[in-house]
Amino acid sequence: MEKADDAGVYKISEELAIIQTVDYFTPIVDDAYSFGQIAAANALSDIYAMGGVPKTAMNLVGFPLKQMEISILRQVIQGGLDKLKEADVVLLGGHSVEDSEMKYGLSVTGFVHPEKVLTKKNLKSGDLLVLTKPLGTGVINTAIKGGMASEAIIKNVTRMMAELNRAAAEVMKQFSVHACTDITGYGLLGHLAEMVEDSGMALRLESRKIPILPEAMDYAGMGMMPAGAFKNKEFRLHMIEFSSEIDPLIQDILFDPQTSGGLLICVKREQADDLVNKLIEEGVRESKIVGEVISNPAEKIFVG
Amino acid sequence: MKEIDARGLACPAPVLRTKAAVEQEDTNTVKVVVDNEASQQNVKRFLESQGFETSLEKNGNEFFITGTCNKAPQPQPEGDTQADAEQKKIMVMCTTDRIGFGDDDLGLKLMISFIGTLKEMDPDLWRLVLVNNGVKLTIDGSEVLQDLKELEDRGIMILVCGTCLDHFNLLEKKRVGETTNMLDIVTSMQLADKVINI
Repeated sequence: MEKADDAGVYKISEELAIIQTVDYFTPIVDDAYSFGQIAAANALSDIYAMGGVPKTAMNLVGFPLKQMEISILRQVIQGGLDKLKEADVVLLGGHSVEDSEMKYGLSVTGFVHPEKVLTKKNLKSGDLLVLTKPLGTGVINTAIKGGMASEAIIKNVTRMMAELNRAAAEVMKQFSVHACTDITGYGLLGHLAEMVEDSGMALRLESRKIPILPEAMDYAGMGMMPAGAFKNKEFRLHMIEFSSEIDPLIQDILFDPQTSGGLLICVKREQADDLVNKLIEEGVRESKIVGEVISNPAEKIFVG
Repeated sequence: MKEIDARGLACPAPVLRTKAAVEQEDTNTVKVVVDNEASQQNVKRFLESQGFETSLEKNGNEFFITGTCNKAPQPQPEGDTQADAEQKKIMVMCTTDRIGFGDDDLGLKLMISFIGTLKEMDPDLWRLVLVNNGVKLTIDGSEVLQDLKELEDRGIMILVCGTCLDHFNLLEKKRVGETTNMLDIVTSMQLADKVINI
């Protein structure tokens, strides 16, 4: 790979390349088992985003042995293991260290055909952009931290973050997909900015079509926007042109850092409707067409 | 006037401090100092969502947000502790898998529609208790399985009578809800604000 991408790719033969990635973080939900599931879904996501199939994984653990019950760690690891089983991935081992704060994640290896690697680059004029999970998990995680989120919302967002991008990745392979990435810490606009940079193209988004968790709008309006969203905005704002009528709250949510977010798929225009229908049929129900690639050398994102 | 020093604090702490201050009685004016842009935006949004008018001063790296309350606070979105306290707890008890007597096919159709529409009662719907033939709604092949799972995902507790499952030999086939006993059901009735019997 010439440019930084979601994960590293190493070609072994004409038929096989391996993709390697590593991802870990501190707890985002109180429930230990769910945290393990989310961390695993998040680590696997980079492999899916590059068109690969995850095969093996290793655990990475940091744990404050003196302050926390070891049973908590067992639950976290069980959550991760169950997600790996769901993804047909084998856990080969791992490494743990004593740490002042709990951390968990995985290093994952996947297989891909060297000619079928999907990167963030390779946008084609006219392509449509499909997003497979709604935005707003960063705002809701901040509300959870602040003790303001209700049980029902915590449950809903936990389920969403623990959902594998596997089904979306499998459906995507049946279509002419030119580029793909997964939406995580940089927020939707941050990741799109990476895609459009050096592409010689520009993107146009329709903010009304972008799926956003309704509760995220409520909490954002109450000051629960995570600091990361402002950092993402500051870093990439020069590449974005918002039309004047867009609510500032929505502008910020488009930069909201996502945990285990959905895939952003750049697909041949004529196939976009079929792709979305098939995604919905396979259970990726929130999938939506959110924008398009336009022939414009500005390398900017126009949000209307 | 309340003054809050939220310098050195990361989101959402400055908003939480501001929230605690304005929730005390007689707070009409509040002045918050923060030392980063994210906290400034968030505190300003929070105060505005609570009906405060805000003004902002910047001094070096420090932001001073002054909020003045001149109208009643707006209702807070669902999920906030205050809203939770105002929610009713409705318990729905289904003793059958058909609604009403007469035509069984019609009764089943009505039940499917009833379970599918129950979510409209959210956020007041608290528990759904299934007894006698009602437990058949939770097993493999039930046409409302998806709807029940959706209710559960919304945080509504579904209690399924264990004695009834056992009686019909369906203990292994239950796919949604928690198996429960009569004591839990009676306690739920006592805690609920309203019990609806189907």
